[in-house]
Amino acid sequence: MSIQLAGVHKAFGPKKVLRGFTLTLREGETAAIVGPSGCGKSVLLKHLVGLLRPDAGTVFVDGRSVGDLRRRELVELRRKIGFVFQFAALFDSMTVAANVSMGLRRLPGWDRKRIAERVGECLGLVDLNGLGERFPAELSGGQRKRAGLARAIAASPKYLLYDEPTTGLDPVTTSVIDRLILRMRDELGVTALVVTHDMTSAFRVADRITFLHGGKARFTGTPAEVRTAGDDVLRGFVEGDPALYYGL
Amino acid sequence: MVLFPVTVPLSRPLAASGRSTLAALGSIGQASALFAGSVRALRDIGVWGPLLLPQMARVGVASVPIALFIAMFTGIVMSLQASYTLTGTIPLYFVGTMVGKTMILELGPVLTGLTLAGRVGANISAELGTMRVTEQVDALETLAYNPIAYLVVPRTLAGILMFPFVVLLAIAMGIMSGWLTALQLLDMSSPEFIKGLRLFFEPWDVWFAVVKSVSFGAVVTGIGCFCGLQTDQGAEGVGRSATRTVVVSSMIILCLDAFWAAVLL
Amino acid sequence: MERRREILVGLVVVLGIAVGVVGTIWLQGGWRGDQLMLRAASPSAGQLVAGASVKFRGVAVGRVESVAVVPSGEAVMIEMSVRPDLAIPPDAAVLVAPESFFGDWQAEIIARDEYQVHPFLEFPEEGVLPGVALPDFSRLTATADQIAGRLTTISERFEVAFTEETAMNLKNLIDNLGLISDDLSKMISQQAARFDELAVGVSESARELAGAARTARTMLENADSLLTDAGVGTMLGDAGESMRNLRTLTGDMREAMAEMRAAAQQGVTTMNRLEGLMARAESGEGLMGRLLADQELAEGVTTAVANLNTLLADIKDNPTRYLSFSIF
Repeated sequence: MSIQLAGVHKAFGPKKVLRGFTLTLREGETAAIVGPSGCGKSVLLKHLVGLLRPDAGTVFVDGRSVGDLRRRELVELRRKIGFVFQFAALFDSMTVAANVSMGLRRLPGWDRKRIAERVGECLGLVDLNGLGERFPAELSGGQRKRAGLARAIAASPKYLLYDEPTTGLDPVTTSVIDRLILRMRDELGVTALVVTHDMTSAFRVADRITFLHGGKARFTGTPAEVRTAGDDVLRGFVEGDPALYYGL
Repeated sequence: MVLFPVTVPLSRPLAASGRSTLAALGSIGQASALFAGSVRALRDIGVWGPLLLPQMARVGVASVPIALFIAMFTGIVMSLQASYTLTGTIPLYFVGTMVGKTMILELGPVLTGLTLAGRVGANISAELGTMRVTEQVDALETLAYNPIAYLVVPRTLAGILMFPFVVLLAIAMGIMSGWLTALQLLDMSSPEFIKGLRLFFEPWDVWFAVVKSVSFGAVVTGIGCFCGLQTDQGAEGVGRSATRTVVVSSMIILCLDAFWAAVLL
Repeated sequence: MERRREILVGLVVVLGIAVGVVGTIWLQGGWRGDQLMLRAASPSAGQLVAGASVKFRGVAVGRVESVAVVPSGEAVMIEMSVRPDLAIPPDAAVLVAPESFFGDWQAEIIARDEYQVHPFLEFPEEGVLPGVALPDFSRLTATADQIAGRLTTISERFEVAFTEETAMNLKNLIDNLGLISDDLSKMISQQAARFDELAVGVSESARELAGAARTARTMLENADSLLTDAGVGTMLGDAGESMRNLRTLTGDMREAMAEMRAAAQQGVTTMNRLEGLMARAESGEGLMGRLLADQELAEGVTTAVANLNTLLADIKDNPTRYLSFSIF
């Protein structure tokens, strides 16, 4: 009972982004989906939380088809999933602490004190102690990503979805984020799906890597298997070789 | 596919008009969906309730100065132009009638509505557009919030609740400034102006203004939310949404103005 | 921050409500305490509506609260609220009339004996003032229009009736009348002449008879001394009697003749006068004659009536051009 995508198709107008993508996540693992920018990785993630509905195929989360859920059931489902957005998507008008508390405020039985405690905890987990009263605009790129992560984990989700967590960060900050992703897996035991085009990061955090190409899962394997794969397109992507990737 | 020899020169404009018709119908459909969603989202009072007051402050209170400013000059201009128009056979106290009637029935609500379409509508649109393109709207959804309840309902409700008050203040300001102008520049006396003001006054006029401004408030904020949430393609899209909000809501305000005049007067 | 926002929102809301409510009340004519309620019945309400001003001696003293037709449908009940300290005249009545040309009407409280010409409606209910509604300006002009229309019709008929033929007929008639009167006069003269002759004859014969009698008496007086005979005396007395009778008859006849002659003379005079009138009419003297003789004048009258018509129509259409000075 985890996350499963079965033959998902999705098109935006004439542009077919997903053409029968299939993937099954194992409980507790951190999987990565890699692929070039604009290949539909983020689209894939949005299907998991019901922000998008597949044109064909089914997305299962805990055995339930996300596309067929009613609004209230979808709300329940979303409480089990933490979503870390590409640019953090923090609410500009609120402090970091308020951002983190957003998901908690809607939970029954959470009073002010309990929320404040949990916010402190989460900020501690992402090493943002003491920055709770700042506004997003006052944070650096890495700090914002961490704040976004803190917000995603606040409600103790079962699943964590990372959308390009290291995009636009310097190598040191990237590695800080990668370590955080691993810490989430180890300390919180969440099942995570990381979408990235950063192979270094993918190799570092993922138990399994899926290569998304042409709207389908072209290759799935452990980082070691990816490194040694014979597929030219995958090798071209991993090594950053356009000649191989485009088959020139 | 060459059905007629004229296909080529004609097809482009035909296709263009067909496309825009479909787009317009699509927009109407989406707007209706947003409206239905907003009505449903009214149940989530826990979500929008705490946000209502800040939005009322933003939509209503912050709009008062600009609305008063516009109304003040409208009143002055109305007074001067009325006296210019009425020179001759019609007694000057009709300046009061014209200033009062036009401010209450037409200029107060409509000018305030148009001004706030620019101020409030564009603001909401840009804000929500930015939230849309930076995925904050998606973030709301993933945090189990209904974005309509969280973003649209408090803004639209604030517009509906606050617009009438802003408009009433603007009307009062317009009449006051028209009155002062009549006293200072037109050599009229206060009793004269007041006589004209009261001559054809009906309490219903004020209700008419309130009804109009409620609808304008809903339109300005609703269109702002709608265009904002429809935003795509980054900063440029945000700008486009803001412009569209102002244009569309101004048009709808004027159409509604005619509609209310036909239905209620 | 939150508190300040609350205060500001509250301020705008309260100010807005205050402006709306106070402004409305003020524009309606201000807040008025206890008012004296008056009721009046009128056959029509004209254009009077609730909210119209109530005036007394030209001063606004209140306003009309409601205007409604009474259940029986025979009158309009006007309810007015006026200043409580207003002392209205004992024979107060209500005159419903236009306040200006702009469609607003007023109810004016008046002393009835100052407006006696108006047919005030007496409503059989205690405390209801009698009232009357003046005609609307449009109705006034409509009535004027009607009058002008009738004048036009009359003048047209006048024109139609007095054609040349009619005039000729009339002249012939008058001529005939002259002839008849002439004949009549002649006949009366002849008759009178005959009577005259007859009377002269009778008188002469009477005179002769008297002469004969005188001669006879002389003769007989002479003979009397000779023959005293009673029979002759009696015979002579009888003759004297009959002669006196004859003389009386002659006198009566003469009188009757004079009367007849006077009557005939009068008839002739009347006829002559009539003839003269007709002759003058024919020659175009006097108003009637001028009307008959002068086509242009007749047309002038018609045109004048038509002009009056146009003027009234214009007044109806553009009342301000003629009446504005009296309105304000």
